[in-house]
Amino acid sequence: MRISVMSQLQRSFSMEFPSLVSLKLPSPMETHLWYIRPDEVKSPSLLKHYSQLLSPSEKDQVSQLRGDALKKNALLARTLVRTTIARYQTNNAVDPRSLMFKKNIYGKPEVDWQNYKNCNIPPLHFNISHTDSLIVCGVTVHVPIGIDVEDKERKIKHDVLAFAERFYSADEVKFLSTIPDPESQRKEFIKLWTLKEAYVKALGKGFSAAPFNTFTIQSKAETKEEYSLCKTSEMTASSLEKTNKCDREWKFALLELADSHYAAICIEDDQASGGAPMRVIVRKTIPFVEDELISESKLL
Amino acid sequence: MASSFCSSISMQAPISAKTTRFSLQKPVSIFNNRKTNLSFSLHRRSMPARLAVSCAVKQETVEKVSEIVKKQLSLTDDQKVTAGTKFTELGADSLDTVEIVMGLEEEFGITMAEERAKEIATVQQAAELIEELVQEKTA
Repeated sequence: MRISVMSQLQRSFSMEFPSLVSLKLPSPMETHLWYIRPDEVKSPSLLKHYSQLLSPSEKDQVSQLRGDALKKNALLARTLVRTTIARYQTNNAVDPRSLMFKKNIYGKPEVDWQNYKNCNIPPLHFNISHTDSLIVCGVTVHVPIGIDVEDKERKIKHDVLAFAERFYSADEVKFLSTIPDPESQRKEFIKLWTLKEAYVKALGKGFSAAPFNTFTIQSKAETKEEYSLCKTSEMTASSLEKTNKCDREWKFALLELADSHYAAICIEDDQASGGAPMRVIVRKTIPFVEDELISESKLL
Repeated sequence: MASSFCSSISMQAPISAKTTRFSLQKPVSIFNNRKTNLSFSLHRRSMPARLAVSCAVKQETVEKVSEIVKKQLSLTDDQKVTAGTKFTELGADSLDTVEIVMGLEEEFGITMAEERAKEIATVQQAAELIEELVQEKTA
């Protein structure tokens, strides 16, 4: 029903699609997770509208991808980022088309607010990740965020333990090797991958800042739902000491999305929440069309 | 990547006016041993002809890399992969890239540092790094 309304608007040469519905900001230590299922976005006029939101360089990047599915997903990813960030601005003050992006010195994308210096811009952080069948954007206020999603059924072409021995930390290899069933082992491997990727992305300093074998992520003994980060080796200025320092600076959450994916979130802990677990609000969306609050996201 | 010129590397003498830059990932003593898991990279912009590593990669290397990439990403025969092909254009994510690296390591009998491995963006770059490491191994 909504789709036909938009087609009518287009035909009448209206400048806009329906306005984006504005959103309330995340509270501290809360992550908002938005996802799109590409197979639910089929309308050519809607996709055309999305493509009009992109900057010229984004359009170039989309066109370089091989195949329609890749192009569509890249388009949806940029649309998700632009529309989501625009919606958090007060009074829809920001047109998603006009948002500018830049990269920090290590290449992590962030919003460039240079044209909005006089407006009351909240300190939003975002990060995206996608697979063939899911596009996800995480948003926080005040603290850096990294997310990573993987298809639960993703097959690893190499032997899982060989892969882990090559790239993961010794403690993680130990953990994985205690899992007798290969399928469970593969699943735990994927979960660990998403958690580790989410951390590196949250850190935002590039791959070399945190090689996978220099830190361990493990679930906390007390509650199965929480994960903590321990660095397996710390290089100090004076010597190459090996210390096991468990970091209180980062919070993790791992959940199942859309019954098909593992999603890991890592945010910087502002230490003000007293060790409380991260709150995650998950919503499925089709930009300009509808949002759906997913209240039953399983935290793993 | 930070680049620093290290004047104590003996293999670069004599050098022409255009020097080769080595970028060291960890500024600790690296030339005690000749292990292939040292991570350093050559910037290709200025390359004296005297250095043993060649600029142009062998077609054979490019083809082997392409085969491994195609297998990892389950590409069909009509999806062409050339030296300049970027992995991301083919839909590879970071997990794919790491798996490709493992495949390359197995095929060529080398070890790539993870940071270098994740930065490989094209078939050409993979082939260059492979030849660099193979050269070093057999040197």
